[in-house]
Amino acid sequence: MMMTLIKGSTVAAEGHGHSPIEQFEIRELVPINLFGIDASLTNSGAYMLVALGLIFSFLYFSTGGRSLVPTRLQSISEILYEFIASTVRENVGAKGMQFFPLVFTLFIFVLVLNLLGMIPIPGVTFTVTSHIAVTATLALLVISIVIVYGLYTHGIGFFGIFVPSGVPPALLPLLIPIEIISFISRPISLSVRLFANMLAGHIALKIFAGFIGLLLGGGIWALLAPLPLALTVALTALEVLVAVLQAYVFAVLTCIYLSDAVHGAH
Amino acid sequence: MSPAGKGSDEHNGKISQEARAEIKRRSAEIGRRLEAARPTLQDLAQSNGDRQNASHEAMGRALRLSTELIGGIVVGAALGWSLDNYLMPYLFGVKTWPLMFIIFFLLGSAAGTLNVVRSGMKMKTGPSDPSRGRAVPDDDDDVN
Repeated sequence: MMMTLIKGSTVAAEGHGHSPIEQFEIRELVPINLFGIDASLTNSGAYMLVALGLIFSFLYFSTGGRSLVPTRLQSISEILYEFIASTVRENVGAKGMQFFPLVFTLFIFVLVLNLLGMIPIPGVTFTVTSHIAVTATLALLVISIVIVYGLYTHGIGFFGIFVPSGVPPALLPLLIPIEIISFISRPISLSVRLFANMLAGHIALKIFAGFIGLLLGGGIWALLAPLPLALTVALTALEVLVAVLQAYVFAVLTCIYLSDAVHGAH
Repeated sequence: MSPAGKGSDEHNGKISQEARAEIKRRSAEIGRRLEAARPTLQDLAQSNGDRQNASHEAMGRALRLSTELIGGIVVGAALGWSLDNYLMPYLFGVKTWPLMFIIFFLLGSAAGTLNVVRSGMKMKTGPSDPSRGRAVPDDDDDVN
């Protein structure tokens, strides 16, 4: 019986559609070549366009009425706005509200992409945020804005954030490199966190879902099939939570980093 | 209100004194039962919410802290390695491997720990929860 299982798993691994990492494959949909640069529309790009379309149309139509007593859709938009606005105010302060459009865009973009990845469409479903190329680009955008805005408002004094206050000068040669490494590690932990969470979650989902089919095809082992099914249901709920949580964490950390740029050294 | 009821409301209501007393008794009874029920309901909702929040927060915290630590170590190690292999040989023509790697690995570990401590402190003091505490005063606030 165990042999059947193992044989089944190898067959499944070779057969198409059952490998747990196949879902992350980038596929070319419309080949576009711009001056020697491969700018083809891939499934990743298509998902981003779908997300943009969804976000734009939702926000446009839900706020179109502009009624004083909000309709249900309008109150969703208002809740989203107030949620991000209070996050920005709490973490950056009132001066940080100039960055509200940035934080709101990042949050809603990551959130919708994460959630779109949770909708299973056979052969289509793709989670854009499970690729580090995407999350690292977003993180680099954030950290570039922090550096450029910090230098713009504080000049060279912006580098004062690398000098911790209230420590004996003898320790500074040790502490400044630590602070610099800590600063450089920010975009890395920001991007790795989002990408790793989405990647690991989707792989786990696929593996446990794959067990159901394997057990069902394994004779008496089919009796155990409800176990991975229950686990898959639970994991799906957890993944939806992670999708929202990680979008929020991305927004909060963006705010925390921006507060350095706004307030400079303390 | 006294049964004599010499106030202005003697002219307003068409209800008899007995009915008035009865209504008052019943409303007091309802109030008493509400008071008795309220804390248990509140406790139930709160403990439920707290338990759920705790597990969500704990997971988010774990995910965050682990990447903070790893990020620091990876950046330190990568910096040290590239100093050893590229910057030092080309700029000064000296072979420092693995000195810089070791030094920056240690610095990176310190930076990772610093990241963890910082975000841990931020979580502890953290942004205040707006759902805690009532924004709108209700009847109890006047009484107490």
